[in-house]
Amino acid sequence: MKKRLLAAAALLATTASLVACSSGEQGGGTTASGGNNASNCTNTIPKKDLPVVTMWGWYPNTQLVVDNFNKLNGEVQVCWTNVGQGSDEYDKFQTAISAGTGAPDVIMVEMDRIPTFQIQKALVDIKPYGYDAVKADYSEGAWKDVSVGGAVYGVPVDGGPMAMIYRKDIFEKYDITPPKTWAEYEQAAQKVKDAGGPLFGDFAANVSALTMALQIQKGAAPFTYDPAQQSTIGIKLNDQGSKDVLDYWTNLARKGLVGTQDQFTPEYISGVINGQYATYISAAWAPGYLTGAGVGKGEDTGKFAVAPLPQWDAANPVQVNWGGSAFSVTSQAKNPELAAKVAYGLYADKESLTDGWTNQIIFPLNLKALNDPAFVDLKVDFFDGQQANKEVYVPAANAYKGVTYSPFGQYYFDAMTKQVSALIEGSDTGAQAADRLQEDVVNYAKEQGFTVQ
Amino acid sequence: MTLQIEKSAPRTEKTTQQNRGKVRLREHLMGWLFVGPFGIVFLALLIAPLAYALYLSLFQKKLIGGTSFVFLDNYVKAFTDPSFLSGSWFVIRFSLVSIPLQIIIALAMALILDAVTNAFTRFSRLMIFLPYAIPTVIGAVMWGFLYSKNFGPLTDIFALFGGTAPNFLSSNLIFIGLVNIVTWQWAGYYMIILYAALQGIDPALYEAARMDGAGKWQVALRIKIPLIAPALILILVFSLIGTLQFFNEPQILRSLAAGAIGPDYTPNMYAYQQAFSLANFNYGSAISFALGGVVFIGVYAFLFFTRKRRSFL
Amino acid sequence: MSNRPRPQRNLPLQVFLGFLVVYFLVPFWWVIVNSSKDAPGLFGGGNTLWFADNIDYLGNLQQLFTYDNGLYGRWILNSTLYAIAGGVGATLLAVMAGYGFAKYRFAGRRFSFALVLGALMVPATALVIPTFMMFSQLGLTNTIWAVILPSLLNPFGVYLMHVYARDAIPNEILDAARADGAGEVRTFLQVALPLMRPAVVTVLLLSAVASWNNYFLPLAMLSDNRLFPVTVGLGLWQGIASGNNAGTTSLWSLIILGALVSVIPLVIAFFTLQRHWRGGLSVGGLR
Repeated sequence: MKKRLLAAAALLATTASLVACSSGEQGGGTTASGGNNASNCTNTIPKKDLPVVTMWGWYPNTQLVVDNFNKLNGEVQVCWTNVGQGSDEYDKFQTAISAGTGAPDVIMVEMDRIPTFQIQKALVDIKPYGYDAVKADYSEGAWKDVSVGGAVYGVPVDGGPMAMIYRKDIFEKYDITPPKTWAEYEQAAQKVKDAGGPLFGDFAANVSALTMALQIQKGAAPFTYDPAQQSTIGIKLNDQGSKDVLDYWTNLARKGLVGTQDQFTPEYISGVINGQYATYISAAWAPGYLTGAGVGKGEDTGKFAVAPLPQWDAANPVQVNWGGSAFSVTSQAKNPELAAKVAYGLYADKESLTDGWTNQIIFPLNLKALNDPAFVDLKVDFFDGQQANKEVYVPAANAYKGVTYSPFGQYYFDAMTKQVSALIEGSDTGAQAADRLQEDVVNYAKEQGFTVQ
Repeated sequence: MTLQIEKSAPRTEKTTQQNRGKVRLREHLMGWLFVGPFGIVFLALLIAPLAYALYLSLFQKKLIGGTSFVFLDNYVKAFTDPSFLSGSWFVIRFSLVSIPLQIIIALAMALILDAVTNAFTRFSRLMIFLPYAIPTVIGAVMWGFLYSKNFGPLTDIFALFGGTAPNFLSSNLIFIGLVNIVTWQWAGYYMIILYAALQGIDPALYEAARMDGAGKWQVALRIKIPLIAPALILILVFSLIGTLQFFNEPQILRSLAAGAIGPDYTPNMYAYQQAFSLANFNYGSAISFALGGVVFIGVYAFLFFTRKRRSFL
Repeated sequence: MSNRPRPQRNLPLQVFLGFLVVYFLVPFWWVIVNSSKDAPGLFGGGNTLWFADNIDYLGNLQQLFTYDNGLYGRWILNSTLYAIAGGVGATLLAVMAGYGFAKYRFAGRRFSFALVLGALMVPATALVIPTFMMFSQLGLTNTIWAVILPSLLNPFGVYLMHVYARDAIPNEILDAARADGAGEVRTFLQVALPLMRPAVVTVLLLSAVASWNNYFLPLAMLSDNRLFPVTVGLGLWQGIASGNNAGTTSLWSLIILGALVSVIPLVIAFFTLQRHWRGGLSVGGLR
C-alpha cells in the first residue's frame, strides 16, 4: 500500500513538474494564445528590450534570415515559428482567422493565396507603411501578384519561373535534344519509350498549381475578379486551352509515356534520383528542392540540366509561374506598422538574399539580387556549371505577365486534384474533367454568395 | 444491466425512520461527491461541446454576405452532399470488410494462443500485440514507406515470385492498403481481449465436453466462442465506433497519395477540411453532429439487434 | 487455469502463428533497418530490408535530437506530459465515478449512468471542432490545457470501473469498515481502492495510451510547434519533408528514426506492466 502511494505521489510530482516546466517556458503568457505569444520563438531574440513581432514561415534558411534581420534592425525584433509548409500553415492561419485569435503578426504565404485571405479581411494593406521606400526594389509584375486592386497585401520574396529540368545522361543515351514545343516533347517521349527507356515526365493529381500554370500557358484565364466588386467573379475553367492541356497530359499518361505519381512524395523524389523520369517540369526553386532531398549528390553529380519550358507555339512563347511567396501582415497584428517594417525588411538584406539564391532556396524577386551579375551569371553546381539563371530562369521571369488568382484557392486546388485523379484512373476525356471542374467550382462560388459571371 | 447495489439489510432495519432519512441524504451526497468531478468534466467537455456544435450547425457563413441563421439547412445539405454521402458509404464499406477481418484474425490467434502454450506462443502473443503500442499516426507513416515501390520491401518480395508489386497507394488499391494498416494496428489488441476472456473460462467445461466426445474444434466452436461472445460484441462495438470516425490513417497517407485520398475521403476528414481548411465551422459542425448521430444510431441498432445489451451494459 | 492439461504441440498452428508474427513485425524491422541509413542510402534504393554498408545510428540519433534546437526531444517530453497528465487525471475521475455509481444509490444515478453509456457511442473526434471553438473563446487553444483537459473525459473508464467495483468489492467489507468508524472517504481509499487495483492499472494504461496516440485533437488545438506531441510533430516533419524545404537536412531519415524512438517508451511500458494490465483486462468488465 505504502509503495503504491509512493509511486502515485512520484507520478503526480513528475506530472506537476512537467506541467510547471512547460508553462514556465511559455513565459507566463496566459492571456496571449497562439502566435501572438512572443516568447515561443524558434530563434533567440538578441535585443530583448525592443518590441517583438511574431512571424510564421517555412523557408529552410528562415533561421538565418531572421537572425540577419534582428541583427540589422534597431527598432523591432522578429520571433519566428515554423508551423508547417504550405497548406499545413494555411490551415492553422485559417483556423486562427475563424477563432479571431492565434494568428502571427507577419505570415509567409504563397502569392496565389493572398486573395483567399484578403477577402476574409485577414490581411492588412501595407501600402501606407513604407511601400514607397521599397517600391523600386521589385518589378511591377511582382507587385501586381501581391496586390488586390490598389492595395498591397504582401512583400514579394521569391518567384517560380517555370522550366524543364532533364537528365542529360538519359537524353544522350536516347539521342534526343531538349524539346522546344509540347509536340516535340511528346515525340521525344515516344522515342524514349520505343527504345525501352524510362518515363519521360509525370502527370500528378496533387500539383494543381502546376496544372493551372500549364493551362495558363495555353491561354486559359481561370479567374476574372475585380476587387472593387468582391461579390462578382468570373470563372472559366473549361475553356479550350484548359481542356487541351488536360487532354494532352492524359493522352501521354494513357500511352504510358509519363507517370502518374503524386509529386512531393519520397516516392517521386527517389524516382527522380533513380532516373525513372527523363524530365521534371518545374520551377526555379526545383534545384534547391531536389538538392535538399539528396538529389544531385554522389553518383548523380552533374546528371541534370535545364532548358526553357516547351511551348505550344514556338513563335509566340508564353512564360508561366509556379509558386513563389510573400510576407504579409495579418489583421491580428497588434502593431501593423511595426509588423509591416518586418514584412518589408525580412529577406531584403544582401546577406539573406545571397544565401537564398546560392543555395537555390529562392529565386529572388528583389531586383537588387535579380540584377546582380553574380546571380545572373552563376554557374549552378546542380546543373554541372550550366548558367541556368542567365539561360533559362531570368528570361522566363522577365517574360511572366502575372495572373489573377481566386479568392477560394484551397477549394479550387482540391477540386482540381479530384478531377485530375479521376482522369488518371478513369477513361474520361480532359474536356469532360474540365467541364466537371467548372461546374463544381461555380457551385461552390455561388454557395459562398458570389455572383458568377 | 443488473443493479445490485442494495445496502446490506441489517443496518437499515435498525435505524429509525428519521435516521434513515439522514442516511439516504448522506448517500445522495456521497454518491454525487464521487461522481461529481467526472460529472463536471462530462458536462464541460462532452455535453457543452455537443450543444455548441448543435448551435453552430444551425448557422451558415459565406465568404460574401457573412453569417445567417439557416436552421436545418446544413443537415439537409449534408445528407444530399455527395462528399458526405460518399465518405459515409466508404466508412460503412470499410467497416463491413475490416471489422470482420480483424475479429476473425484476432479470434484465430486468441484460440491458438489459448490452446498451445509454450515459449514460442508466449513470445508471439507479445509481438502480435506490439502494434497497439504504436500511435496510429506513426503506424500509418511506417506503412506509407512500406508501400513505396522504390524503398518498400514489396518490390523485392514480389520479384522473388516474378511478379510486380501492387501499388497500395493507388486509387483502386488504397482500400486494401488501409484495411491492412488497420488490421495490423488493432488485431493484436482485440486478440489480447479475447485471449483474456478465453483464459477466464472454467477448464472444467472442456473436460465435460471431452467426456461427451467433443473434439478440439468442437470445443472451440461450441464452448469457447459462445462463452466469449460478450467480449466479441464489445470489440465489435468499439471497432465500429472507431471505424466510422476513421481519420488518422487516411489523413497521414494523404501526403503520399493525394490523388487516391481526397480531403473528403471519410466524413471526419471532410468535417476537418470544412472547418479548418475552408473555415466553414458551421458546416463542419453539422457534419460532425450528423456523423455522431449516425454512429449513435448505428451502434444502438447493432446492440439492439444482437440482443446482447444486457451483457454489454 | 494452471491445472488445465497441457495441450500437445500443434505444428501447423504454430507455423501459421509464425507467419502472423512475421507480418506483425515486418514494419518494425523495416524501420529499424532504414533508420540506420542516411538520405542517399534511403533514396538510392537497393536493399530495403537489410542494413546499408555504413550504419549510422549515432549520427542519425544525434541529428534527431539536435535538429531545430532539439525540437524532437521536446515533442517526446510533451507526449509524456500529455499521456501522464491525461492518463492520471482521467483514471482518477473514472475510479471515483465508477465507485460512486457502483456503491451509492443517489438521486439521478440511473439517468446519469445512462448518459455515460450513451457517451461511449459519441465519436470523440466529433467533439474536437466544437471544443476548439469553445476553447478559442476562452483563450485556451494553443496551450497544454487544450490537450490535457479533453483527455480527462473517459466514459469507457467509468464504465469499466463501475463493472469492476460492482463485482469485485463486496458491500459487506465496506459496511464492516464503516462499522469500524471509517468515514466514506477513508473506506474508499483504504478498502475499496486496493481491491480495484487491476482495473485501475488497466484504465490508467488505456487512457495514457489514448493520450499518447492522440492526433486529431492536438493537431486542431496547437499551432506552436514547441507544444506538439510527437505524433503531430512527426506529421509536421512529414509535411515539410514532402515540400522538401528542410535545406541541407534531409528530414526523411529523421522521420523514420523519430518514429522508431517514439514507440520505445510505450513498448517498454507495456512489457514491464504486462502482468498488471493483462490482469485488469481479464478480470475487468470485459468478460
